[in-house]
Amino acid sequence: MEEASPWLLFAFSVLVIIALGLFAILSTRRLERIPTTRRQGLVELIVESLRNFAVGIIGPKGEKYTPFIGTLFIYILAMNLLGLVPGFKAPTSGLSITVSLAVVVFIVYNAAGILETGFIPYLKHLAGEPLWLAPLMLPIHLIGGLARPLSLSIRLFGNIFGEETILVILAGMTYVIIPYVVAIPTQFPIVLFDVFIAFVQALVFSMLSAIYISVAVAGHEAH
Amino acid sequence: MNYFVALALAVGFGLPLAVLSAAMAQGRTASTALEGIARQPEAAGRIQTAMIIGLALIESLVIYALLMFFLLQVKLPETEAVLKIIRGG
Repeated sequence: MEEASPWLLFAFSVLVIIALGLFAILSTRRLERIPTTRRQGLVELIVESLRNFAVGIIGPKGEKYTPFIGTLFIYILAMNLLGLVPGFKAPTSGLSITVSLAVVVFIVYNAAGILETGFIPYLKHLAGEPLWLAPLMLPIHLIGGLARPLSLSIRLFGNIFGEETILVILAGMTYVIIPYVVAIPTQFPIVLFDVFIAFVQALVFSMLSAIYISVAVAGHEAH
Repeated sequence: MNYFVALALAVGFGLPLAVLSAAMAQGRTASTALEGIARQPEAAGRIQTAMIIGLALIESLVIYALLMFFLLQVKLPETEAVLKIIRGG
């Protein structure tokens, strides 16, 4: 199982970014206050449901994090689904893209906690409620803080990489069942399952990022 | 030789053990979610969303074991080399 070059995956992710950017630019021309075209209605539906999703988790402070969470969801979904197009490979099937996304989420939720509640209260929140338990709680919180981006990245990478590997192995069996005469696409049920996995993994990644942001932003009163 | 025996056993048994515990946990998750939906059908949407998230998180632990399998599997020796060692070649 040879590893894909990170530059190839980066090229595919740039392709996804260009495609999503073109879609966004083309669908936000000539906006009207009450949507009359189908295109604007669809885009407003997507934005509205993403906003409800983010605000439902983070609370009323979630308004300014909606673009981040929504972009994460759409971007990861598009990258996962690119792996199903013949000739392309999913950019998230390499550790480089997923780890960089997890690092970005780590920076964002720490920065959100520091900006919302101040630097010293955030450190105190890491130290835990009874202050004399700090030498115990601080290493636990630090290790937990490192485990979060690690688990985010490896979860996304493992799911998508495993799906692609299963696809490759099953597609290699196409000519084996009835030897070399009839081509049976044995990977078709796995393709359908892979669409479902793409949705679920994008949802889980963005929901976990929203939960981490909400925990960091809420500070003391939510524990 | 004992090292390779242990390695082969770990490669063979590691992932099925993870799958076993994950299957039991996911079954319990799905059954309590279904009971909740049966008790209160108007909360079905929220319960279903929470169930899918829970299932994905449990499944990610199995994915970690699968990654470990891929990492260990390349360290297994080739069959011809092992047969040559056994025959004392």
